[in-house]
Amino acid sequence: MNQIFDLELARAVIRISVPLIFAGLGGLLSFNAGVLNIAMDGFMLVAAFAAIWMANLTGNLILGILAAMVAGVALATLFGYFNLRFKANIFIAGIAINLLASALTALLLVGIYNQQGSFVPENIPTIPTISLPIIGGIPGIGAIVDGHDPLTYLAYLAVPITAFILFRTRWGLHVRAAGENAEAAEVVGVNVFWIRMQTIWLSGAFCGIAGAYLSLVYVGSFSRDMTADRGLIALAAIFFARGKPYVMLIVAVLFGASQALAIRLQLQDQLPSQLLQVIPYAITILALIVVGIRAKYFHTTVRGITFGS
Amino acid sequence: MISESEGGIDTPRTVAAPQATTDRAAWALRAAIQGLGRPALAILIAGLVGGLIILLLGNNPLIAYGILWSGAFGNRISVYSTLQFTTPLIFTGLAVAFSFRAGIWNIGVEGQMLFGAFFAAEAGYLLRLPAIIHVPVAFLCGIAGAVLWALIPGLLRALLGINELVVNLMLNPTALLITSYLSGYPFKAPGPTNKTYDIQPTAQLPQLTTSSQLNVGIFIALALALVIFAFQMFTAEGYELKMIGLNPIFARYGGLNVTRSLILVMVISGAIAGMAGVEEALGVDHAYYDGFSPGYGNQGIAIAMLAKNNPIGVVFAALLLGALNSGGQQLQLQTNITRDFVNLLQAVIIFFLAAEFAVGWYRYQRQAKGVPRAAVAAEEGT
Repeated sequence: MNQIFDLELARAVIRISVPLIFAGLGGLLSFNAGVLNIAMDGFMLVAAFAAIWMANLTGNLILGILAAMVAGVALATLFGYFNLRFKANIFIAGIAINLLASALTALLLVGIYNQQGSFVPENIPTIPTISLPIIGGIPGIGAIVDGHDPLTYLAYLAVPITAFILFRTRWGLHVRAAGENAEAAEVVGVNVFWIRMQTIWLSGAFCGIAGAYLSLVYVGSFSRDMTADRGLIALAAIFFARGKPYVMLIVAVLFGASQALAIRLQLQDQLPSQLLQVIPYAITILALIVVGIRAKYFHTTVRGITFGS
Repeated sequence: MISESEGGIDTPRTVAAPQATTDRAAWALRAAIQGLGRPALAILIAGLVGGLIILLLGNNPLIAYGILWSGAFGNRISVYSTLQFTTPLIFTGLAVAFSFRAGIWNIGVEGQMLFGAFFAAEAGYLLRLPAIIHVPVAFLCGIAGAVLWALIPGLLRALLGINELVVNLMLNPTALLITSYLSGYPFKAPGPTNKTYDIQPTAQLPQLTTSSQLNVGIFIALALALVIFAFQMFTAEGYELKMIGLNPIFARYGGLNVTRSLILVMVISGAIAGMAGVEEALGVDHAYYDGFSPGYGNQGIAIAMLAKNNPIGVVFAALLLGALNSGGQQLQLQTNITRDFVNLLQAVIIFFLAAEFAVGWYRYQRQAKGVPRAAVAAEEGT
């Protein structure tokens, strides 16, 4: 067993959780505004492709990340507008977006790069790593936390920032008002449509960074359906945390740990990886049951998840 | 529907179910013809978007669509292939449509289908029975597996009021992972591919042709569509389920047991979803192959929406998507457009049918004039 749990695994957990945290933060904003963002996986996938495409074209990582954010926001516009203006069922529209993203990126992969499975660009620079001044010196933790790339640190920093915006600013208050009681929010002058659209855009941008991290930083290539339902897992983390940023961070890292462990065990062929990959979904269903029991016996309905029956 | 919204009809039409059987059939026919407009528009838009993508990929859209057509209906073999793809799609389309019509969103058809296929394949391999009993027994085993899986969202919704969409969303990848594990480890047949042992010859569904995997499953699918149509048109239970779909609160005040109906709908929908998997395992693959489904469950959503949840409409919509799947294979062989093109078209279709555009505006107008929501919805034939 000493081959399984080591320093490298801990570092892998930190890295593999990054896309989950970014996507989770984006989805968390729209969740608090009363929109379940089912389409995050599609946002991430298209963004991951856009990042590789732009970075391959220009040889510039920053431009790649920007392209990914633009792609995420563009898809978010489509999703948000159909959902909010044309009243499309959010789950059905979300499934359609995810399907569209998967098909479109697979078609473009063949169309542009003539590759069926994956495209590995050769001109993409590796992202620089940062060494932390004080924390890096702490024995034990330092070796785990030190020397990651800037996006990784940005992900963990974005959590308190998002929490601050959500709970300490006027805009955040409007977001939560739109989510808790849209009618009442409208009465006091909050433009619920506009607030929700903004949160969907933000989740598009966050998923854009998540996708860019996945393709540009984490693996340095694009392969078909490479997000592997990470958008759904991020959504699961949001459900589990019921929209609270810090709880979401913990859950996302736990889910990330199960992913990292699954990869490790698969490499060593010790345990079927499927059994570990099931964990986030199983935990989410258990969490939903808890939410359902609370709703039934304590009358705390959660918008979009439970029905008052 | 769209022209109505522009014209503006002021007098509300009564939509009480007609009394005589012939009237009812005529009423259904009229609703079906009226309902063709939006699906046709969605298919047209999908075709245009698809054409643009083909152009973007450096191909001529007309030639590509020509290949798609000949791959679907060009010769006998391609027609067989189309019908073979159509068979599971009729089942998944019916499963989704049956639940949508009753206001339950069973989007977990994909997962239920996987369990149906796995259980049928295991019953087909493990049991030693004469063919006349083996096929039905394996069929029922598959259905039982699918129903058990469908009961998870059904019971959670019925007992705790948990949104079945969220649960199904999580259960689909779970089902894929569990069946992938089962067919890759404990029940794996020796060899490089992740599949179960081949079923006994006695459990195989009879083939219809020698040159394809087309089997009697297609007749079962067609018969099922007719049975469901009859159930929905001519029985009180079928009418009740529709009422529940239109307005559950009203239905409850009307004395219907909504909770019982909800579980019943999930069980039936899951059973139909299971049949899709059973047909694939016993009729096409003769084993459970990991990842055998190219997304039949999701395609069922597109089919149900195209058919506006009408079981007869499902058959035609399934034929359309079956043809696209079959033609898509040819397209992949002859051009650089992969089979994903079919999923692209399907995504656009779902996306546009999910939106309410003019109909939403129309409904809003009618509701503003005091027409009850259920009446407006019934009028639209949804």
